Amino acid sequence: MPKKVRSVFRKRSLLLLLFGFALGMIGAVFAHKGIKATSTDKFCERCHVHPHVFKSRKLSSHYATKSGMLVRCVECHLPPEGEGYLKEKIRLGAKDIYGFLVKDSADFNWEARRTVEMAQHFTSQRSCLKCHENLFPLTLTKEGQEAHLYYTQNEDELLCLNCHIDVGHYDPNRIHDRNVGFGSTTVANADVFTVPARVSALETFTETVPGTTVSFKMVAIPGGIFRMGSPEDEPLRKSDEGPATDVEISSFFMAETEVTWDEYLAFYSATGAEGRSTDTEGRRTLDDVDAITGPTPPYGQPDQNWGMGSRPAITMSYYAAETYCKWLSLITGKNYRLPTEAEWEYAARGGTETPYFFEGNPKTFTEKGFFGKLFGKQNELIGKYVIYRANSMGRTQEPDRVEANPFGLKNMLGNAAEYCSDWYAADAYSRLPEKVKDPRGPASGEERVIRGGTFKSDAALVRNAARDKTQTDAWLKTDPQMPKSKWWLSDCNHVTFRVVCEFDENTGKQQ
Amino acid sequence: MANNNFSRRKFLAGAAAVGAAGVAGFNPLVSCSGGGSQKSGSLVTGEPFKKVSDLFIPPLLDKAPDGQPLKAGVIGCGGRGTGAALNWLAAGPNLTVTALGDVFQDRVDSCRERIKADFNIEVPEENCFVGFDNFQKVIDSGVDVVLLCTPPVFRPIHFEAAVKNRKHVFMEKPVAVDPAGVRSVLASAKMAESQGLKVVCGTQRRHQRDYIEVYKQVATGAIGDIISANAYWNQNKLWHRNPQAEWSEMECMIRDWVNWCWLSGDHIVEQHVHNIDVINWFTGTYPTRAVGFGSRQRRLTGDQYDNFSVDFVYDNGMHMHSMCRQINGCAGNVSEYIRGTKGYTNCQNRIYDLAGNEIYSYPYPLDEAGTPMRSVAVNPYDQEHIDLVTCIREDKPINEAEATAMSCLVAVMGRVSAYTGKEVTLEEMLNSDLKLGPETFIMGDVGIMKNAVVPISGEAAN
Repeated sequence: MPKKVRSVFRKRSLLLLLFGFALGMIGAVFAHKGIKATSTDKFCERCHVHPHVFKSRKLSSHYATKSGMLVRCVECHLPPEGEGYLKEKIRLGAKDIYGFLVKDSADFNWEARRTVEMAQHFTSQRSCLKCHENLFPLTLTKEGQEAHLYYTQNEDELLCLNCHIDVGHYDPNRIHDRNVGFGSTTVANADVFTVPARVSALETFTETVPGTTVSFKMVAIPGGIFRMGSPEDEPLRKSDEGPATDVEISSFFMAETEVTWDEYLAFYSATGAEGRSTDTEGRRTLDDVDAITGPTPPYGQPDQNWGMGSRPAITMSYYAAETYCKWLSLITGKNYRLPTEAEWEYAARGGTETPYFFEGNPKTFTEKGFFGKLFGKQNELIGKYVIYRANSMGRTQEPDRVEANPFGLKNMLGNAAEYCSDWYAADAYSRLPEKVKDPRGPASGEERVIRGGTFKSDAALVRNAARDKTQTDAWLKTDPQMPKSKWWLSDCNHVTFRVVCEFDENTGKQQ
Repeated sequence: MANNNFSRRKFLAGAAAVGAAGVAGFNPLVSCSGGGSQKSGSLVTGEPFKKVSDLFIPPLLDKAPDGQPLKAGVIGCGGRGTGAALNWLAAGPNLTVTALGDVFQDRVDSCRERIKADFNIEVPEENCFVGFDNFQKVIDSGVDVVLLCTPPVFRPIHFEAAVKNRKHVFMEKPVAVDPAGVRSVLASAKMAESQGLKVVCGTQRRHQRDYIEVYKQVATGAIGDIISANAYWNQNKLWHRNPQAEWSEMECMIRDWVNWCWLSGDHIVEQHVHNIDVINWFTGTYPTRAVGFGSRQRRLTGDQYDNFSVDFVYDNGMHMHSMCRQINGCAGNVSEYIRGTKGYTNCQNRIYDLAGNEIYSYPYPLDEAGTPMRSVAVNPYDQEHIDLVTCIREDKPINEAEATAMSCLVAVMGRVSAYTGKEVTLEEMLNSDLKLGPETFIMGDVGIMKNAVVPISGEAAN
């Protein structure tokens, strides 16, 4: 640097310093103003044009507050100032701008975004607690006391949203209470069946449930030998799917679809005791019943307000699913039960040995990984057979949305996961003896096998061989009842079941 | 935030360690961080040893300071209620009792007479309430403080009513007899805290100066890491009242309340909670499971056991053995014992090294002849009330409800295990719907006595 320039700098250093300071101040003021200006509700409204957001907000308890206080958008959707406010503002802002420019808000699945699962990513727990410092106000109800006490004991696992999801955007269909009226509105117009189906051979039949208007198709599955599990070179496989083992399966019948709400509600209304609102009947055992004890009323809305009818019934516990089979057996005179894991996979494969029962490589279907995100949109083929993340719109769908597998079974993959009667063990297949017939899984365990993936699953998890397990504790985490329900899951909306019927002397098997 | 798995323990340990101080920032596993070997800290809680300044110690003045007049209402005017009223009046200047409540007229009368005789205070006739709803009337009579001294089954209801009406509270132990009651007290305790109300409980060892001095030493590491604990309350039969023809069933049971589980929680809860509470206080945490047994050998009335022996286990594998008995002619022992890696203590007044040499002895005040007396300068029953009044008048935090409720829950865990013969966890207890006693209280026939059964654990042999 020439001397002259340096001297000018030196002489004017004070001036420059002052200038810089002033510039900095102006910058700070404008930045501050900018942050403020982009944090008003009006500003949010400019881009968030989907009108239901504001309608539901105005109906919510955080807009129509008792004290007249108005809670602004950013006060819930961003963390408190000074606690990562700016960082989160930039993150969400960038996302919103991208969405605004590139996507059409009408295509978004707004409903799915209002689930706790998704909503927790754009609301701030710390902001809840910033305003609601006192979780034990004197006006708190008894139920509130119990719930908040439970929260204080499980702070790291629970969110305010778990119970208060609708405080910012009102949802008229939401129920956070004992739902004693659940299922009572289904009115039957059709004729009531008086006798169950008579089955005399291993042929597909339609079961008619006596005393109800419910019938469903049971598909005959001829026995055979198949290779259970996935080969080690199957793309996106997990280690619990092997070693692939030859397994022999006896003939049986399997329901064409996952148990529907119509079917499940028939059981619920036939066996559920009216007026009982808690589960204090734990002493009853399945073995010594002559009549079946049915579910207590659920807490909340088991169908998630997605609709019932032929959609798969969800949120029932394993115990409830098992009890359903017991009930169905009793009134039809057949042996209905949950499938074993081996039966399930045999039926799902329908004679195929490929990752899916249709053609295709999981890698081309998956949205996982860089290429998956970019190119994983070849979902026409898989979308014809499977309700999974890319086509489910965040909920279960009715069975006629998909085509059947080679055995004629629908939704074996995707839609909702299905209970199997086996205990889950990661190494279950390596414990199988050679030439095993009708294996029933480990003798004991903590969690049951669930199979088939769900409407939330990536393509990788709806392969024939993909395995998963129940999560007893997590699926009951927010059930506020004491004791927690043994019939309904408060925190799992993606599991159902499918019945199998044994091919035995009751269904025409010759000795 | 710390490790997820520790959330519950954090809550539990927080309740014991923080106590009334309301200090935040319990940090589990802090002593395990850094990867080095643990130099100093408690293995039970996973916390480092504390400094004395971090401990919650009540004010412990000899007399409460003067201040604006404080009016107390007594709810439950039996022996302990009357005693508490006298302790309250003796705590300092400008204290009075202006309302009395009980389910029995004779209890109100005798308490009123005693207050008149000892302190020349006349509780107005119109402020003496009899019946199950007496507590609300006492609370509504314009008192500042309530003394809750009924049989413990009523405590959760009374405590909640007191807190919701913004009264400071002295309440006797136990504070509940079942998990539902414990949870109610825990929630009310949080409400009290948010309102700045002062709550002192009748676990008076926490206000007994010798215990407190030993606590300070143990909490700061005098016996090293705590590795085992024992709690004892073995004494003669307590007392009983036989049913009288003119008494209703409810009256029979309430007048004989220390013999009925739904009223007292059984003696492991009603009496032995004192010793269990000392162990919880000193260790700064709670056992998380228990296997116990007990029986009824010589009790005359009611449906309770008269002996329990319970093995309480902590998450780190440490054991606390608890035994309690109310049978005449057997070895007596009411005490605690805690052993650490460097020594052991009786919790009350002495600390020994591992060889049995006394390394600390509480300096009791001297009598006129210059020999140490056998008790602390201010008896702990008075001290509780002095501490309560001091905290009210100087607005210092004190809220013992949570710690006492949790100690009661630990005792209930022991009882349930003994009654059932099963292992019981604290988690199960925290989430249990067990609730004893009738749904509503009426002075009449409630159908409990004739159906009363003493629990028998396990299954019959064949």
